Amino acid sequence: MADAETGKKIFIQKCAQCHTVEKGGKHKTGPNLWGLFGRKTGQAPGFSYTEANKSKGIIWGEQTLMEYLENPKKYIPGTKMIFAGLKKKSEREDLIEYLKQATSS
Amino acid sequence: MSSWNPERKQSLVGWDSHLSRIFFLLLLFVVSAQGVTPNPEACLVSSSVSGSSISCQPPAQIPKSLPADTIFLAVEFFNLTQLPADFLQGIPNLQELHLSTNRLENLSPKFLLPVPQLKVLDLTHNSLTRLPPGLFRVSAALCTLVLKENQLKFLEASWLHGLKALQHLDLSENQLQSLPPGLLENFTNLLTLDLSNNQLQTLPPDLLRGPLNLERLRLEGNRLQVLGERLLAPQSKLRYLFLNDNRLASVAAGAFRGLQKLDMLDLSNNLLTTVPTGLWTSLGKAARNLKDGFDISSNPWICDQNLADLYHWLVANEDKMFFRNHTRCAGPEALKGQMLLAVAGSH
Repeated sequence: MADAETGKKIFIQKCAQCHTVEKGGKHKTGPNLWGLFGRKTGQAPGFSYTEANKSKGIIWGEQTLMEYLENPKKYIPGTKMIFAGLKKKSEREDLIEYLKQATSS
Repeated sequence: MSSWNPERKQSLVGWDSHLSRIFFLLLLFVVSAQGVTPNPEACLVSSSVSGSSISCQPPAQIPKSLPADTIFLAVEFFNLTQLPADFLQGIPNLQELHLSTNRLENLSPKFLLPVPQLKVLDLTHNSLTRLPPGLFRVSAALCTLVLKENQLKFLEASWLHGLKALQHLDLSENQLQSLPPGLLENFTNLLTLDLSNNQLQTLPPDLLRGPLNLERLRLEGNRLQVLGERLLAPQSKLRYLFLNDNRLASVAAGAFRGLQKLDMLDLSNNLLTTVPTGLWTSLGKAARNLKDGFDISSNPWICDQNLADLYHWLVANEDKMFFRNHTRCAGPEALKGQMLLAVAGSH
């Protein structure tokens, strides 16, 4: 059972150095993630993505995020995101559950 | 190495060249209409006004030469134990170098000399046991250094000489048992330090005397037993402190005194039975009052009078408490298994 509380901790520990989630949050090394679900890759307004990310062409959702977050550089070869990935399925599920809540109203 | 580069100007003359240009543009149109369908046998190449970005994974071959304007280079998931000599020769504008998931055992001391503008170096998941002296002697522009998941058992301060501008240092998931004195002495620009998931039993008390602008400190997943007064004393800008998953049994009363901007504190999964008087009140004075939360779960708390300060603070800040259900008393017998928050509320 995916746990957003655990997901929030994972986000703060492993993602928040480069990403914000709230509406109107600033871009840092990585894009603000507000509105992520249901959006095509590379579309957060105002962020300078790699070509690789912009042209991946999938829609972010639970399944695509599960795959991506396990091994981002395999899913989007050419990405500049430095993150080896979350090997544990439960961690990805928790993080995605948190992101679902935190990136939309 | 492909020299096909749609955005680079080419001077063409004559009728034949008009046809070539039309064909070229048609090809470009067709390719863009289909979207980028990368050929996995070739490195991904893209180009902008700033320069070229090259990204290679197997089964692509590592190119023998690179465009002179390369600013981004990724060579990942190969099983390279060594890099070719002069690997970075001829690409003086390189800003980012991603070499994760190879099996690099050694780096030549001259390896980074051709790329003095390098900002990002990612060596995640290799087999480095040491770094050669002078590796970073021209790396005054390096902002981000990631050595996560290598085989470093120890560090020498001299290995990191030259990294004047470093903001992000990731040494996590190695086998570090101790750190040498003066390791971060000149790292005045350091913002994030990740030492998580090593085997550190102690930390030199002056470890953080150099990086006074530290914002994020990750120490989770080590074997720390004690948090002393001095370690965090000068860290007035620290916002995130992760000490979870250690063996902390003792935290000095003044350990958090200097932390004025703490947004999150994680002390979960340690051996804390009690905290000294004054520890939590000093946190309460933190300007942002742990707005992103705190976690003291999975500790064997002894719920007696000594926790009075903590109870008071918990009740005032319960909305920021992670894992209340996992924050329970291990003693005394009468309170064993009770939620700390419940005991605090009835205090």
